Order: sequence, then structure tokens, then C-alpha cells
Amino acid sequence: MKELLRFLIKYYYALLFILLESIGIVILVRNNTYQRTRFVNLAHTISGNFSKKIAVIKDYLTLHEENRQLIEENNRLYNLVKSSVSISYTDLQSEKESFQRLEYIYIPARVINNSTNKQFNYIILDKGREDGIEQDMAVVCSDGIVGVIKEVSEHFSSAISFLNRNLQISAKIKKSGHFGPLQWTGTGHQKARLKDIPHNISIELEDSIVTSGYSAIFPENYMIGRISDFSLKGGNYYEITVHLSTDFKNLRNVQVIKNLYREEQMDLEERTRND
Amino acid sequence: MTKLLPRNIFRFFVLVLIQVLIFNNIQLSGYINPYIYILFILLLPFETPGWLLLLLGFLLGLSIDIFSDTLGMHTIASTLTAFLRPFVLDIIAPHDGYEMGTKPRVLYFGLAWFFKYAAILTIIHHIVLFYIEIFHFGGFFSTLLRVFLSSAVTLSIIVLSQFIVYRQ
Repeated sequence: MKELLRFLIKYYYALLFILLESIGIVILVRNNTYQRTRFVNLAHTISGNFSKKIAVIKDYLTLHEENRQLIEENNRLYNLVKSSVSISYTDLQSEKESFQRLEYIYIPARVINNSTNKQFNYIILDKGREDGIEQDMAVVCSDGIVGVIKEVSEHFSSAISFLNRNLQISAKIKKSGHFGPLQWTGTGHQKARLKDIPHNISIELEDSIVTSGYSAIFPENYMIGRISDFSLKGGNYYEITVHLSTDFKNLRNVQVIKNLYREEQMDLEERTRND
Repeated sequence: MTKLLPRNIFRFFVLVLIQVLIFNNIQLSGYINPYIYILFILLLPFETPGWLLLLLGFLLGLSIDIFSDTLGMHTIASTLTAFLRPFVLDIIAPHDGYEMGTKPRVLYFGLAWFFKYAAILTIIHHIVLFYIEIFHFGGFFSTLLRVFLSSAVTLSIIVLSQFIVYRQ
């Protein structure tokens, strides 16, 4: 016993170091294997209010920019209305049908914490289960896509940012309709890579990239970005660099999208796969 | 000694706030993320007992982790930096050792000494931090580049801060 005590006293510095470092490693590893956002959520009950206060100040400082975005969004909606009036009767008929089947519900939310400078970025929103947010819903803003909801607590939710190496979404070239997986490149905050586009179709710089809608998370034809560079990889497939239209450094107002038919679609896909 | 306590507590909070509110939002060309909060560990008095040094390093990292959603990463890097501080101080000690009443500042030991001291600990801290972050995939050399570029910026800020805060 005496020996043990002497040992402890002699090496307490190294032992304490090992103890604290182990705690750190446990925290890190648990976060990586389980959903790390779970812990982040816990931490946010502590820092949530703090972040909220900062968000209020940031909101105020960016009022000008926000006004501009709202005006743009307004214009876009105006245009939609006008064009739907001037189209032909048959178009009107199909438009009507699509209105009757309401597919997506938009829930407005505010970003209260966001990072862009890590390899696995997450975004915290100020809406939670109480506001109808659920796991795997899409998050978008008026400029483009933002991410996918990962964890939900009572009043907050956390989303995997598109700037996260774990997130891959299905995107297509608007002009030709060819689709492939799109993933962030890991550097910068506006570059992503689109793969698996066959070499025999023609693409051009500045072509629009939009969501394909296959994943039942994002609605179809939602703007993602434009082609900024492309090259042939191995001769058969293009490797396309996409400039994202969302400014992840300046995220304030976002919309969470609920797909009303997601479960039905997933169920059907599941059954088809099982056969 | 009684005067040292509130001053260090104040420094702890100020550095955490500066890190979380300003430097966590800075990302130059995707490579440079300065982490200046370790200045707190650098500036602790020589007389700080070992257990306190380690605990403060741990708490400092944990605070940064909580506010930047990186649970564990900064805790590990910061605790290690605190652990290594006495050894680094030993290695670069001046001939007659550290006199009573002096502090690890440019004012007492000169710019060259302080720079060496800050550089060793900053680079160790950044190496550990960036390699934990990158853990899952390759990119060894691009991470090394990030380590050195970020270290350079962190160091410049730390050394500059010494001239701004401790003017004669």
C-alpha cells in the first residue's frame, strides 16, 4: 500500500496526464462511432442559448444582405406566378394537378451555429421536434442546398452540412438529365465534385447542376450550383467540379423540407429490393 | 500570487471568447485555421503546480470543443500541450535557470527565447490537432501543409499579442 502511494506521488504528473488524455480520447471515439451529433446536442443545451444570443447580433449586422436575398426570392416567386398564367391550357392543367398533390412542406428555421472550416461540418438550427423536424429531412436556403437533418432534440436540431465528407447526394445536370453522386471536395467552402457522368454526353462550363430527387430527401430540380471545371477521368467518365451556389459562410435563414411521400417511396423501394 | 489568479482566469475567458467568436470563423484559402487559445498555457506562471497545469489544459480544450462542436479534439491536443510545457521549458532554459518572480514573457527572456518556446508548443499542438481531425482518410502532406501554415499564423498572432499587451 505504501509502495503504491509512493508510486502515485512520484508519478502523479504522468498519471494525471494519462487519465485526462484518456477522457479526451473516450469523448472523441464515442463521438465518431456513435452519432457524434448526439453529444453535440447535449453540449448545445449548454451553449445553445449562448449561440442564440450571438446569432441575434449577427442577424442585426447582416440585415442588409438579408433584405437583398428576400427581394431576390420575391422576384423569383413573382416570375413563377407570371409564367404560370401565360402558359397554355394543357400546361395549366398539369400544373394544377401537381398543385393538388402537395408533396413537400417547407419549415422555416434559423441557423444558430455553423462551421465551414473542418472536414466534418455541422449546422445547428433553432427548430426541433416540436416544430415538426425529423431525421433525414432536407435543409435548403434560397440560394441552394444546405444539408440533411441528422439529430433532433425538443427545440434544436443538427444537420450534416453539405460541407461534410460523410454526405453524398444525388445530383443531375439540368440540361441533359444525367445524374451521379455529388460530394464536397474537402477544401474551400464552395467546391464539390460530381462523378459517374458518362463521357459521351456534351457538357459545358456554367451548366446548372440540380438535385435529382432520387433520394426522396431533396425535391427534384433544386439548384445546387454550376459547373466550374471538368475533365475526363480514365476515359469513360467525367470528373466535374461544381461551384456551389449556396454561400455556407453566410447562412441565416434556411428551410427544412418535409417530403410527405418519403415513407411510402422508401417502403416501395425496400419491397422491390427484397423481391 | 493572489494577484495572479484573477488575471489568469480573466485571460482564460478572453482567449476562449476570441478563439470561438473570431478565429473559428477565419479560414484562409482552406488551409489556415489559427488556434491562438494555447497562448493561455504558454503564459501560465512558472510556479503553476503540475496538476493544475494539466487540469487547466484539459478545461481549456474542453471549452473550445464545446463551442466549436469538435468534442475531444481540442481536449486531447490542449492537454498534451500542457503536459509537455515543463519539458520544453527545461530544454530551452537559460544558463542560470528561471529566477524567482519572472514570468514566461518576451519582457524577461527576450524575443528569441519566447519565439522558440511558443514555436515548439504551437507546432506540437497543431500537428496533434490536425492529424486527429484528418484521422479517417489520407492526405498526409496536405495536412502537413495545413499544420505549418496554421502554425505560422498562430505564432505570428501570439508573438504580436505580446508586444500589444505588454508594452513598456
